[in-house]
Amino acid sequence: MKRFDCMKALAGRLKDELVILSLGGSVDEWYNAAPHMREASLFQQQLGCVTAQAFGLSMGLPHRRVVSLDTDGGMLFNLGILATLGNEQPKNLFVVVWDNECYQSIGGPPTHTAFGRVDLAAIARGAGIEQAYTVRDLDDFDAHCARGLAAAAPYVIVAKVSGTVQPGIRRKHSDGREDKYIFVRHVEASEGIVIMGPSEHN
Amino acid sequence: MKQSAVDAVIRGLKRAGVSLVCYLPDSLFKELYPALDADPDIRTVRVTNEGEGAAICGGVFLSGKRAALVMENSGLRASVEPLARMGLGAGIPVVMLMSYRGETGENNWWAIPHGITMEPVLDALRIPYQVVRDEEKIERAIVDAYSWSYAAYYHSAVALGGEVVR
Repeated sequence: MKRFDCMKALAGRLKDELVILSLGGSVDEWYNAAPHMREASLFQQQLGCVTAQAFGLSMGLPHRRVVSLDTDGGMLFNLGILATLGNEQPKNLFVVVWDNECYQSIGGPPTHTAFGRVDLAAIARGAGIEQAYTVRDLDDFDAHCARGLAAAAPYVIVAKVSGTVQPGIRRKHSDGREDKYIFVRHVEASEGIVIMGPSEHN
Repeated sequence: MKQSAVDAVIRGLKRAGVSLVCYLPDSLFKELYPALDADPDIRTVRVTNEGEGAAICGGVFLSGKRAALVMENSGLRASVEPLARMGLGAGIPVVMLMSYRGETGENNWWAIPHGITMEPVLDALRIPYQVVRDEEKIERAIVDAYSWSYAAYYHSAVALGGEVVR
């Protein structure tokens, strides 16, 4: 199963959601697979923060569906967030873990999921997230996306994907700071709120 | 902490517009955590480590709500990676309220590293902070931290020490 194909399937289901995603090849793939979601997506470059940030966002906007596109390396970096989600049971948070069993962006050395023992979906269930599933084919992935995006409890998909990156896709040029401004302005416009407002004096 | 100091912290958080607190409990703020849990205007989230709490607070910032990360100062060390990435890489601020373990007067050997490292770590991350040892100054220090962080879009901190926590 290719991550890019999964992303296109997920993108086809998204409209008003907000997305926070992780680092590496998934950044440029999501940028190309979901062009209509670029402003609604926060592209982060960090391990262990993505689902935690998405959870924070989901608490602040409880009426809005938030999607976390995390990775095996990122989730392994802070497994504790699964226990926090298990306790807090957010109703509007959908988590996809792209599990390619490697640190792809640095050339592909294996993560802990590569050896057939570590099961992130089982860890999530053990942490109290009842709806956590490993998926291995595209139809199954798409069906879980439909359920996860409509769920009233935290929903985790661990998508077993190949370690390849979609060839020939356009690179995203913006950095983390520009990405944050784009995302915040989108949240402000779509929510009718001010997050980063004017200074007191000019 | 005395009840009056707990009240001052909560007054400061409310004046700053905070509606959500992430915390990992410690002993010096022992009385503060249940008071936060009991406050109807503040949602509390218990986290597994302070770095996770920092990331959650960053996500809350993106929603337009205001969050605080409350912890022992040892939690600052656990938070350095997400703080550096969010603050320096993206301009996503986190305001921290921490107990000052390990300052002079400390009588636990295990807390000495917390005192030795807290201010240098804050300085290394260029995070402005106030150490407050006078209850009268708690509320204003918290409000000022939020004013600065929402102008700079960078982290700030308040450390409570001295008689405020002992």
